[in-house]
Amino acid sequence: MNVSEELVNQVLMIVGTGMIVVGALADLVASIGMLRFPNFFVRLHAATVGTIWGAFVPLLGAAFFAAGYSELGPYRWFVAGGAVVTAFLILLLGPVGSHALARASYKSRAAVPKPLIYDALSEKLKEGEEK
Amino acid sequence: MNVKKALILVSLIILVLTLSAAFTSSALGHYPLPLSGVRWLASWYLYTTLNPQYPKFTAMSPEAVTAIVWDYRGLDTLFETAVFFLAIVGALALMRGISLKSLAESNETTTEGAGSGLSLISKTAAKLLTPLIIAVSASIALHGHLTPGGGFQGGSAAAVAPLLLLVIFSVYFLLRRGISEKPMLTLRTAGLLGIYLTALAVVFTGLVTGVNAYVFQNQPKFDAPVGIPAYLFNTLVSGSLFLFNLSEYLAVAGGFTLVFILLSIPEELVMSLIRGEEHE
Repeated sequence: MNVSEELVNQVLMIVGTGMIVVGALADLVASIGMLRFPNFFVRLHAATVGTIWGAFVPLLGAAFFAAGYSELGPYRWFVAGGAVVTAFLILLLGPVGSHALARASYKSRAAVPKPLIYDALSEKLKEGEEK
Repeated sequence: MNVKKALILVSLIILVLTLSAAFTSSALGHYPLPLSGVRWLASWYLYTTLNPQYPKFTAMSPEAVTAIVWDYRGLDTLFETAVFFLAIVGALALMRGISLKSLAESNETTTEGAGSGLSLISKTAAKLLTPLIIAVSASIALHGHLTPGGGFQGGSAAAVAPLLLLVIFSVYFLLRRGISEKPMLTLRTAGLLGIYLTALAVVFTGLVTGVNAYVFQNQPKFDAPVGIPAYLFNTLVSGSLFLFNLSEYLAVAGGFTLVFILLSIPEELVMSLIRGEEHE
């Protein structure tokens, strides 16, 4: 293994570790938010911070780390590929899940939307555009 | 309320402390490992699961769990499958006489709002995900003899796809596209038939060729020289394990989808049907 390849591996592992640390911090922040925020819609924001910053980012970090960890041999691409696919799925599904939760709780009036600045959905529901 | 919370906290702390004390004083045995009299069995499985040097003992599968489930203790798994099938037969018997097809047809004209599903965002995500789920579940099932997984696991994962469509679109969406109880029952029966034929394949071969053979036999044994080939086109298929996994995949996917569709029948329909029969 030559020097430049070694350097690339080192950089990949450092970046990956950094992303995992960021993810751990984001998870801490999100869990504090889940405990301390006042109502459902604001807590949902904290939950999505936990999914994107606390799961998507560290999974990409794990992929980078695995790609740079040459001791694993060719198996590191399996680990990195799995992590990237999982990260992509979380990126796709996290927002959809929180969207469906927020919409369902709004329509069923299970939670009071507060703090509310502008309510476009209620106008649409009155007009009958969306059911 | 506070007393209750304090009680829960104290009992949790006591539980953790007692368990740690028990572990440190080795009251639960020195290490939580099986006894040495049992461990040779595990080594035997690991030694013979893929060992072409011992062709009369091996199951020809690198995945020891699948080899144990469908080869070493194959009959046990057959009875598990039978129990699951009987549970679904029971669900079908409870719901007999309720036609889902008429439900789907009546919904198009009458009920307003129902059957339109969730928002566009959820529907788009579901459309992206459904083929992905099917692909992943198929890989779990068809690689079951090589990597962790197997027919039941793959079939359960595949049943998530119709469940997702059922929640995000509606049951009428599935029914209009032909995913109703009859095709799912056909799929399930086809899977069970596959398991049945695979279990008896070697026996039939033995009967035809006039040699000794066993039910649920995979590779040739000492007194039974026939078996299912472990390689197909130079690819390791582990004899009957691949066929069992494929059949179980179809059976479980069909069975779970059937149960999900049955569970989503509206209660009003069931009740009106029962009451209608009483009056006539």
